[in-house]
Amino acid sequence: MSALTITARDADTGPVLEITGDLDYETAPELRKAVDGLTVAAGQLLVLDLAHLDFCDSSGISALLSARSLAIERGGHIALAAVPANTARILRIVGLDQVFALHQDAATATTRSSAAH
Amino acid sequence: MDVRRRNNVTVTGRADGPVLLLAHGFGCDQNMWRLVAPALAEHYQVVLFDYVGSGRADPSTWDERRYSSLEGYALDVMEICEELGLRDVTFVGHSVSAMVGVLAAAKAPRRISRLVMVAPSPRYIDDDGYRGGFSAEDIDELLESLESNYLGWSAAMAPVIMGNADRPELGQELTASFCATDLDMARVFARTTFLSDSRKDLETVTVPTLILECRQDVIAPREVGAYVRDVIPGSRLVTLEATGHCPQLSAPQATTGAITDFLAAAR
Amino acid sequence: MMCRIDQSEPEPGGKQDADATDAVFTSLLEDSAEELYEQAPCGYLSTLMDGTIAKINTTLLDWLGLARSEVVGRMRFTDLLTVGGKLYHETHFAPLLQMKGEISGIALDIKAAGGRMPALVTSKVKTSEDGEPLLIRTTVFDARDRRAYEAELLRGRRAAEEARRQSEADRVRLQEALAVLQQSLLPAELPVVPGLEAGSYYHTASPDLLGGDFYDLFPLDTGRWAFFLGDVCGKGPQAAAVTSLARYTLRAAALHDADPVTVLTTLNTVLHERYASGDGRYCTAIFGILHPADDGHVDLHLASGGHPSALIQRADGSAGYLPTPGGLLIGVLPRAPFTAARTRLLPGDTLLLYTDGLTEARTGPDRALYGEDALRAFTATQPPTGPKDLITALSGLLTSFGNGLDDDTALLALGVPAPSPTPASADLT
Repeated sequence: MSALTITARDADTGPVLEITGDLDYETAPELRKAVDGLTVAAGQLLVLDLAHLDFCDSSGISALLSARSLAIERGGHIALAAVPANTARILRIVGLDQVFALHQDAATATTRSSAAH
Repeated sequence: MDVRRRNNVTVTGRADGPVLLLAHGFGCDQNMWRLVAPALAEHYQVVLFDYVGSGRADPSTWDERRYSSLEGYALDVMEICEELGLRDVTFVGHSVSAMVGVLAAAKAPRRISRLVMVAPSPRYIDDDGYRGGFSAEDIDELLESLESNYLGWSAAMAPVIMGNADRPELGQELTASFCATDLDMARVFARTTFLSDSRKDLETVTVPTLILECRQDVIAPREVGAYVRDVIPGSRLVTLEATGHCPQLSAPQATTGAITDFLAAAR
Repeated sequence: MMCRIDQSEPEPGGKQDADATDAVFTSLLEDSAEELYEQAPCGYLSTLMDGTIAKINTTLLDWLGLARSEVVGRMRFTDLLTVGGKLYHETHFAPLLQMKGEISGIALDIKAAGGRMPALVTSKVKTSEDGEPLLIRTTVFDARDRRAYEAELLRGRRAAEEARRQSEADRVRLQEALAVLQQSLLPAELPVVPGLEAGSYYHTASPDLLGGDFYDLFPLDTGRWAFFLGDVCGKGPQAAAVTSLARYTLRAAALHDADPVTVLTTLNTVLHERYASGDGRYCTAIFGILHPADDGHVDLHLASGGHPSALIQRADGSAGYLPTPGGLLIGVLPRAPFTAARTRLLPGDTLLLYTDGLTEARTGPDRALYGEDALRAFTATQPPTGPKDLITALSGLLTSFGNGLDDDTALLALGVPAPSPTPASADLT
C-alpha cells in the first residue's frame, strides 16, 4: 500500500494539486486538509492531477467531492486531470462524470480555454 | 479432573509397603525430597507430588481463591489420597506443609493416620509471647522481595543448573523444577504460608506425630519445635544435628533414620 | 602475584618518566594481598560448612555496619541475609551449592547498615585433598545499580502488560459495540413475503471499522413490497450515522410516496441538506417496489442513484443486468438525476442487488478486478433454484476471494419461486 503525497503548484488558471499514491479511508483527510490550505480565488480553477493516483475508494471519492464543495464555496471551479481508468470507471458508475470536468492531463486542464467554462 | 496430572503425582518404592506421602513447602517442589526418597523407597511406598502453583503441577488448574488458604492445599492432599485410594498414610510435611497435614488429618483421619512434621511452623510471625522467628515487618519485606527480586530469583538459577553437563542426573528435570515458579502463584503461596496462623489447628491433632527440627534452623527457631510438641499430646520431638531449614537436603540420612525409627516404633 | 615490569629496556621517554613509573609500581607492590582482600571492591567471606563465619573482609563489614568481633564465630552467612534472602538460600542456594560445590551470580539481599542491599553472591566449597568439604568461600558484589535497573525493567514490563491487557479489553469492547451497531443497521431477519423468496448476506471486512452497506425489505400497502440496498461512501462511525439516516429516510419516504425516483430524490434532499456545511456525506442506492400479480409473476420497478446495476438470474439459467445508467451518487447535488427501470420477474427469476465490494474485489495472482462481467458469468452458471441458493453460492464466492475482498459487501436477492413439480405433473412422466 502506497502512502499519499500531495504536491501543490500554481498554474495560470489557479492551483494544481498533484496527488500521488492511495486515496482511501486512511489518507482522505490529507486531501481535505490540503485543499483547505489552498487559496482558490473567485473564477479560478482548482485542478486535481490524478496521473499518479494508485487507488481511490469511496472515502477517496468523498474527498474529491469535498474539494469540489470548497472550490465552489469560494466562487471557483474544479477539474480532474488524468483520471486513471479504474477511478474513471467508478466515477461513471456513481454518475460523477456528470459532476466533475474531466481532462486528459493537467496541461490541458490548465490552458485558459478549458478553464473558461 | 485428573488429580495425578494436576499435582504431578509420582509413586515409587514398595507397592505393598506402608504409604509415605511427602509434601514440599513453599519455594520448591517434590525435588526437595530427592535425597531421602530413594532410601525411604526401600521400605515404603513413597508418594510425591507438587502443589498446584509449584514445580510441574498443571498451572491451568490454578485457582487463586482456593490456594489463598492452607485449606485449599489440604484439599489437594485429600484428593490425592482419594484418587490413589491411599489409607493409613504417614503424611510427611515440610515447613508450612506440616500444617497442611494437620488440616488434612483433621478432615480425613481414616486416611492420614500419622504425621511427620519436618521443620514445622504454625506461625512465622512473633506474637504476644509466642516466638515464630519473624517480625511482621520481616514478612512484609519478604513478600515485597518476592515481587521486586524476581528477576534474580528466576533468571539467575537457569545457567547454574544448565551448566552442569557432567552431572546429567541433575539435568532437565531439576532445571524445569527450579525455574518453573510462576511469580503470581508463588506470591499467593508465600502470603498463605507466611501470614497464616495454624496454632489453633495444632490442638486438633490426635494422630501419632513426629516433629523433626534442626539444631540451627534459619527459618523456624528452636522455640517453635518445643511449642508444637507441647501443644500436640503424645508427640515426639527429635532435634537433628543439622543446620538450615531443610534437613532432608542438609542431613538426609539423619532425616531418613528419624522417620524410619518413628514408623517402626508406631507399629 | 603482581607482575613485575622488566626494567632492563627503559621506555624511550627518558629517565624521568621511568622513575615516575617505578614509583607507581612500587606503591602497587605495597598493595599486599591482605590489603587487597580487606579493601577489595567486593565483599569476601569464608564460612564453615555449617555457615558460621570464619573470615570476612572490611568492605563487607562496612556494608553491614558491623564490627569484626560481632560477626566472626558468632554469626552465620544466613544471618546476613534478609528474610527473603534466607528463604531463597535455604531452598535454592544451599542445595545447589551442596550439589555442585559452587554457585555463581545469585541475587540475594543482605541486611546492610543502610537497609536492604541487593547483592550478587558467588560461593565455592574448598575441599581437602581427599575431597572432604572444608569451608565455603563467598564473594558478595554490590548489585544495587543492577537491581534498580532490573526493577525498572520489571516495572516497564508490568506497565506494558497492563497497557496491553487494557487495550485488548478495550478492543474487544469496541468490537462488540460495533457488531451491535452494525446489526442495528440491517434488518434482524428478512420478513416473509407471500409469493416471494428472499435471501441476504453481509460480509464485514473489518471488525474494527463499521461498514456503510445497508439493505431492507418491508411491506408498503396491500400486496406491494419495497426493498432497497445501498452503500455509504467511507466507513467508520460517520458512515454508520449516514447509513442509519439513509435507511430510515428511505423507509419513511416510501410510505409517503413509493415511486422509486421520488424516494431517492427525498433521500438526496435530506442528505444534501443535512451535510451541506462541512464534509458532504454520500451514498449510492437502489430502491424498488415489488408488485405480485395474480398470475404468479411480479412486477418490478426500481431506480438507482449511482449504484451498480441490479442483476437478474432468469428461470432459464441466463443472467443479465437491468441497466440504470446516469443515476447520480446521492447527496452530491441539490437536484440529482435518478434513473428508473421496470421489468417483470417470472417464476424462477431472481433479482440480485449487491454493493461494489463484490465487483471491486481483486482476484487471482495479478489481483485483477473481479468486475461485472465475471459476476454475470458466475450467476449464469448457477442453477436457477432461487434467492437463497444464489446467496449461498455468492457467499462462497466472497469467501474464495480471501484478502482480495477488502470492503464490506451486502447482498440481497429476491425471487419468485419456480412452481414445484406437482403430483399431477409427476404423474405425466
